[in-house]
Amino acid sequence: MVSQQPATRCEPNTGNYTAMPETPSKELADALSAVADKRDKQAFAYLFAYFSPKIKRFGIKQFNSDAQAMELVQETLTSVWRKAHLYNNDKGAATTWVYTVMRNASFDMLRKMKSNKEEHISEDIWPLVEQHANSDYEFSDHLETQQIKNYLDKLPQAQRDVVKGVYFQDMSQEQLAEQLNIPVGTVKSRLRLALQKLRNEMGDRHD
Amino acid sequence: MIKHHPSDALLAQYCNASLPASLSVAVAIHLEMCECCHAKVKRLEAQNAELIFAQPQSAIDEELSADAMSLLAAITENDDVDDVYEVQPQTVAITKQYSYQLPRALARIPHSKFMQLGKISRSRIGLEDGALRSSLLHIAAGGEIPEHTHTGFELTLLLDGEFSDEEGDYVAGDFMWLDGRHQHTPITKDGCLCYTVVSSALHFNKGLSKLLNPIGSLIY
Ligand SMILES: [Zn+2]
Repeated sequence: MVSQQPATRCEPNTGNYTAMPETPSKELADALSAVADKRDKQAFAYLFAYFSPKIKRFGIKQFNSDAQAMELVQETLTSVWRKAHLYNNDKGAATTWVYTVMRNASFDMLRKMKSNKEEHISEDIWPLVEQHANSDYEFSDHLETQQIKNYLDKLPQAQRDVVKGVYFQDMSQEQLAEQLNIPVGTVKSRLRLALQKLRNEMGDRHD
Repeated sequence: MIKHHPSDALLAQYCNASLPASLSVAVAIHLEMCECCHAKVKRLEAQNAELIFAQPQSAIDEELSADAMSLLAAITENDDVDDVYEVQPQTVAITKQYSYQLPRALARIPHSKFMQLGKISRSRIGLEDGALRSSLLHIAAGGEIPEHTHTGFELTLLLDGEFSDEEGDYVAGDFMWLDGRHQHTPITKDGCLCYTVVSSALHFNKGLSKLLNPIGSLIY
């Protein structure tokens, strides 16, 4: 294993990555949507013809075995057929989504060969559905302020500050980031953690 | 603010699944907390996909083999769909005083009961991963880990709370990679929970720590 010196800051890559023009990006994305919405077998046959030879080539490099490469083709394309509804074409290209499905299948296969266990932890490591939206965590209106303050007191200070700013002082996440002198991403992640904790504390009563 | 991130090399290995499972879990947890590294990973995945899957439409002329045709038929014969992989939030209670929400990536992976020695508690993560061992490590308020060095490497990812060492202060999400050249003595004011991955035995430096040797096997 190579040494991995830590990075002391995260330098974002600039510029948008655009797919090479000759890839039929739109056709692939449309086919994936047709599979999701209409269980369209013809659309799936198109995806199958496009991806299966490439997945097989990748599998041969990965496993050095024809049979295992075919297993990867089968695992990946079965998942594409059964999980197409999880693909969100606002979030990225169809090729990227199929890549993540294939990468996950390949990881689970390798783990299985090594440990002989069917554990399927790839989706714990690489979620196929992004859970980054803050809108999932809206409070309902009927929450009593006092009760919520009691729960808030159980949160770590940093998370409490963020929740108070956003829900009690009506600040935007950007304003709050500026006031606390932390990045907006940190505000978002603290808010997410805090709201998860609050939900847990409050149980089902306020769902 | 998070000041310590995985290196670009580590992120690249994470993206193409060439990183051991316990370290992949560590990167996944960091990505939950760090939008910047998350964006980098999305970009790397798009690039990997392009390398493997890019092809002009006109070049698709490969006839499907008989095997491929029957696989295609077998897959589409069944109309079931897979549900979203739902991960319910998990809370760990170390003592009455300390309870924490686990990151999403750890919520479904089993871990052992916490063993406690003084202010330090440790739970082993149930992840077979060759020579690597991963744990949840809790240090109660005012606690410290005796000074030690490593023969291999140690990854510490701060999940909640804070700690500081000779180098500075750390916050949740900080991803710290230490190897044999480092010595450190983390200390926490209010308590903290970490995810750690260790590649081999630790050496404790101080005389008193040697007496406390059980702590070495407890922690890692
Ligand atoms: Zn980062």
